[in-house]
Amino acid sequence: MNKLVKLFTIFISAITLTIASISSSFAKVEGEYIVLGSAISLTGKYSSNGVHTQNGYNMAVERINKMGGVKVGGKSYKFEIIYYDDESNPKRAAQLAERLIKQDGVHYMLGPYSSGLTKAIAPVTEKYKIPMVEANGASRSLFTKGYKYLFAVLSPANQYLEVAIDLAVEKNGGKPVKIAQAFEQDAFSQDVRLGILDAAKRTGSKIIIDDKLPKELNDMAATLAKVKATKPDVLVVSGHTKGALTAIRQISEMKVDVPMLAMTHCDAAKLSKQHGKKSEYALCASQWHKNLSYKDKFFGSGKKYDKDFKKEFGYAPPYQSAESSAALLVFKDAFERADSFDRDKVRDALKTTEMQTFYGNIKFGPGGQNVAKPMILFQVRCKGDSCENKVVAPTKWASDKFYHPIPKWSERS
Amino acid sequence: MVKVKQKDLVLYSGLIILGLAAPFLFSAFKVQLTYLCVLIVLAMTWNLQGGEMGYNSFGNILFYGLGMYLTASVQVGMFFPLAEWTESGGEKTFVHTTAQYFQGIGVGLLVAAIIPTIVAGAIGYAILGLRGHYFAICTLGLGIAAGEIAGGIEIIGAGQGFTTPPFPAEIVDPEARGKFFYFLSFIVLVLAFVFVKYIYGSRFRLILNAIRDNEDKAEAMGIQTMKYKIVGWMCSAFFCGLAGGIMGGLIGYIDSTDVAFDGREMGVFMVLMAILGGKGTLWGPIIGATLFHFFKEGLWTFILGWQYVALGVLIVVIVVYFPEGLMGWLREKYPERFGEVIDDKDRKAQVELK
Repeated sequence: MNKLVKLFTIFISAITLTIASISSSFAKVEGEYIVLGSAISLTGKYSSNGVHTQNGYNMAVERINKMGGVKVGGKSYKFEIIYYDDESNPKRAAQLAERLIKQDGVHYMLGPYSSGLTKAIAPVTEKYKIPMVEANGASRSLFTKGYKYLFAVLSPANQYLEVAIDLAVEKNGGKPVKIAQAFEQDAFSQDVRLGILDAAKRTGSKIIIDDKLPKELNDMAATLAKVKATKPDVLVVSGHTKGALTAIRQISEMKVDVPMLAMTHCDAAKLSKQHGKKSEYALCASQWHKNLSYKDKFFGSGKKYDKDFKKEFGYAPPYQSAESSAALLVFKDAFERADSFDRDKVRDALKTTEMQTFYGNIKFGPGGQNVAKPMILFQVRCKGDSCENKVVAPTKWASDKFYHPIPKWSERS
Repeated sequence: MVKVKQKDLVLYSGLIILGLAAPFLFSAFKVQLTYLCVLIVLAMTWNLQGGEMGYNSFGNILFYGLGMYLTASVQVGMFFPLAEWTESGGEKTFVHTTAQYFQGIGVGLLVAAIIPTIVAGAIGYAILGLRGHYFAICTLGLGIAAGEIAGGIEIIGAGQGFTTPPFPAEIVDPEARGKFFYFLSFIVLVLAFVFVKYIYGSRFRLILNAIRDNEDKAEAMGIQTMKYKIVGWMCSAFFCGLAGGIMGGLIGYIDSTDVAFDGREMGVFMVLMAILGGKGTLWGPIIGATLFHFFKEGLWTFILGWQYVALGVLIVVIVVYFPEGLMGWLREKYPERFGEVIDDKDRKAQVELK
């Protein structure tokens, strides 16, 4: 037993030494670099959107650094991001935020992907008074907690599909509609659901199916069978990328006829590419579309961003990438206006942000949400075999007319 | 009473001093250290039925998640309407005063220890009649079912998740929260250790071992195996509930399937850690959890995207080279140090046989 004790002592001291050797702290600003931290979902259920987010961040970092960097106190600095993989898990995300702040000495954070993870990180950044600009946490409850260091460049989740219900009512001659809805059990989708509930109440519409879908959404046949039986006027589905893909796959397999199909995450799921004509007529909520007429000096217009992004990463940018890029523009702007690396000064500068980016106007409300940018709706439309997302609402940017109702499967070629 | 040998005393006091000093020595690592304590508690108490009793349970995550939800619900519910707190998009903000926060978490943890224990008793009564793989599979379902059910209960936030009360703002020191949760988890760890150590010296452990080695014979000896199996599982549940309660407060956000009833991660990790260190030993789960945590924290970030592959390799290595865990391996190599008497003649005879 004595030797065992010795062995154990050696073991403990080895661990102690290892910890001590890696705990040398880094600075928030190292030489000419401003170090930002971010926990991103590179694996797990949000991995595809996590990568969209990371690509958006990286693209903006590269662009800003190339175009002169961030000027603070007469000196030019470059952005650098420390990434960790949060495995799409809130527990891990909170732990990593702590790690970024305490061990890596990060003083400014970029958001993770999804509302749930942002909800897990926000209490940590708030505790250490670390300004966080996030681009992918849309849940309304994020903005009602009184967080002072949280800034979101996107519109809250409940606004995603509200407009779609209004549109359905309008197409129904102003009469209330029957709504079938299915939402993944996660913070974001449940907030989209609240938006629909509000819209239904406002328009007097009736919700005839209200299903909750599991995370890791791979099957919603039960909901669709009910839809087939009850014939609602509009079917609303939200469940991140997997939700969008599953919905289209099963709707086409089961030949579910519904006059209007409203969804989220169509562009992140690359629906028009992956499912082609099967996804035609799907109506999608989006934070951004390349055809919008916003501009900035770093990325130019949305169309130019689309082109550059395609060149860099080989696929068309979903709005998740665009809003992530915008987050860095916001940070740059705030640093320059604060002209300081003091966290509270940067925060105050963030609070008074009022700018236009290629992604849209950005101005933060009292809760930290972006109040200057409306949501848009696009519809997947096909010409021959090539399908594209066409903006149909709001009318200011609409390039195409909203096609309603969706033709029956028996009539579709 | 727990009997402590003279030489062990040095070890224990050394470890306690290390434990008490750790958050000051490694100030930046407080959260990781808290995780370590919780992981050790989970591995150690899993070992009670998994290792000692031979009932491999994947269902301990149920008690962990239950403890987490209970602590948070009590902490909120004692002072504010719970439904309004968890209502998604709720416009009202409730703030706990310092006293309310600590009272809440205190009572919450108490509830989080007691109720999972009762639940373990009730479920144990129903399913501990199953043996071997049947029991393992049945418990696997428990955690998954609980996650799905919790995801549908509105009052605890359903799919929206449950934001646990933030640490009182009146305490200005940003380090206070980390220290509080560390010491809380350290206390639970010490309690769990003393308890398990006590069991190791008791007849209770022998009965659990008898159940593991041959349940039918144990029954034939007149042992009421069912009773002991249930009590064994309840002991695990008690500490799992406490561990969950602490983690909920520490993480600050409870999600039904990803944080609370996280069978895919925590539920598997606790089994893995116990096996890595060597199940059926006192120190095995502790060493296993420590090694696992360091492996995870150290390597995870350097092999971004490949961490689960690495974890898979680790599992394979453990199963192939250390099927009995590290302690089992050591025991085979140096049996004398584990108090086994080796007969030299016997050993020689074995060598000749080979």
